[in-house]
Amino acid sequence: MNVPHISIYYFGAISLVLIGLYGVLVKKNLMKILISLSIMETGVNLLLISIGYVSGKSAPILSEGIGPTQAVDPIPQALVLTAIVIGVATTAMALSAAIIIYEKYGTLNVEEIRRLRG
Amino acid sequence: MNGQYASLLIALPLISAFFVPLIKGLGRKAIMGYLVLITAIQAAIAGWVASEVYSTGKPIIVMAGGWRPPVGINLYIGQFAALFVFIIAVVSFFMAFFSFKAVTIEPVDKYAMLFLLLMLGATGMIATGDIFNLFVFMEITSITAYALTAYNKTGEAAEASMKYIVLGGIGSSFFLIGVALIYGATGTLNMAHLAQLAGTIDPTVAQVGLALIIFGLAVEAELFPLNAWAPDAYQAAPHPVTVMFSAFVVKAGLYAIARLLYILQNANGWSGVLKLVIAMATLTVVVAEFSALRQRDVKRMVAYSSISQVGMIAFALALGTQAGVDAGVFHMVNHAIVKALLFLTVGYVGVALGGTTIENFQGLGKRMPLTAITLTIGSLAAVGIPLFNIFWSKVRILLAGVEAGYPWSVALILGASVVEAVYYLRLIHTMWFVEGGERVRENFAIGVIAIFLAALIIAIGVYPNDIWTIAQKAGQDVFNVANYIKNVPLMGVGA
Repeated sequence: MNVPHISIYYFGAISLVLIGLYGVLVKKNLMKILISLSIMETGVNLLLISIGYVSGKSAPILSEGIGPTQAVDPIPQALVLTAIVIGVATTAMALSAAIIIYEKYGTLNVEEIRRLRG
Repeated sequence: MNGQYASLLIALPLISAFFVPLIKGLGRKAIMGYLVLITAIQAAIAGWVASEVYSTGKPIIVMAGGWRPPVGINLYIGQFAALFVFIIAVVSFFMAFFSFKAVTIEPVDKYAMLFLLLMLGATGMIATGDIFNLFVFMEITSITAYALTAYNKTGEAAEASMKYIVLGGIGSSFFLIGVALIYGATGTLNMAHLAQLAGTIDPTVAQVGLALIIFGLAVEAELFPLNAWAPDAYQAAPHPVTVMFSAFVVKAGLYAIARLLYILQNANGWSGVLKLVIAMATLTVVVAEFSALRQRDVKRMVAYSSISQVGMIAFALALGTQAGVDAGVFHMVNHAIVKALLFLTVGYVGVALGGTTIENFQGLGKRMPLTAITLTIGSLAAVGIPLFNIFWSKVRILLAGVEAGYPWSVALILGASVVEAVYYLRLIHTMWFVEGGERVRENFAIGVIAIFLAALIIAIGVYPNDIWTIAQKAGQDVFNVANYIKNVPLMGVGA
């Protein structure tokens, strides 16, 4: 069979995103949902990084022996640096909300956290 | 004056937010006064920028660090951005006053900081000219919005915030994948450069990338499958924050959708994405109107009504014609004014009488006459009765929809609007014709703001042409991409 050329990096990154999405949609425990969300963010970051990869080139740090032509694309790295920080901030925010939910409701099951409805 | 000073629109709220912890020791009054002062300065700067942009007819391009785009990040403050940055600043200024009365839970310093950052995020989303920068500003807006939703520290607030975080997290991941695909296909993140290269993108990549970006932004913009968080967040958040959500956070998301749609209009497969947005927007209107009908909590009811209006704006913006975009922008302005008034008055009733369930509104006409009158004006305007502002923009949206060839969507939207009349008239009936408790003394500052907004609604309703001209200019700014590219001083780099 002639397998189309899908880079393992793309495949892995998209799989991580899908695993995360699956977890968010299916799991009932709030903590597991938040873990899935983090997995999804990791997958996105890996995808971003792998888009900037140029085969055989080195890290984009201007130093001896490595000029601008021998480096991989530096822009996705700046993007990922930002996205990682944003992801951590979101997770921290979500965890503090989860603590309050546990204090007030006494459960982390999303099916029982249903005071707002309508 | 030099146009680069327009970057103060971003810098001022950011710096002032950092100074809030320093004045924390001075007490609650000082922090709230500080908030009023900063938002007033922001409104003055935004007013200057708007008058500059509209008098010269040229957009202000702020280049970060002096690097010309597409190497550096640029802010593009055209007619649209100038108008909405001004609306954001003025609404924030009013809400700073309202916060004196409405936010009584400590810690108020954190509230002030988040308030300023929310204003910053929305301003940045509307002003930026770079898609990754758009993502960053979107995250600033949404993370502050998560925190402000949970500010009341009740179980409901945390629950609403959690729903918002999970949906927002998925949305921002999708948005980032979309950005990655488009960056991978074109090698640029600058919107003007992207518009130039749009024709060369592979149609599949363009369609998938754009659809993912729109899905990501639809969480912020409250389009149908992704808006389940919105009524909960509106209900649980502090009252001034609710006003800010519906008056400008949603608008920033909608604008970002419209901007990215039209930026990529030369890409193959573009019209398929437009149809997707039209379908989502029509469903948003129908679902939200019918959900609003059976609400017992007035704040939640107005929240659903706000979502349905947002669906209408998205419908107009995705028609793909000049008339549709103009009408959408006009409706955005009108909706910002009307919903600011509605949430302000409903929130004030909630503060004064403790809660916003429909029982508290019985006999409001006698208990709080000023609030009741302005709330009535706002409700009538939201229904779209002639001589109020929303009538004009609704008519224009529906006409543009028929012209663009979507009679079914127009019929559905029009049918759903009848439902809107039912629940608003029910509210008005409860306020004026049901007996209720005693007279309550009303706050002067909030009364003045409410009267000002109500007067604005009637003024635009009677003389719509001035605002309509402004909205048309702003609409051209979004729709006319050739002009957008021409205005951004692109450095000739890349392909």
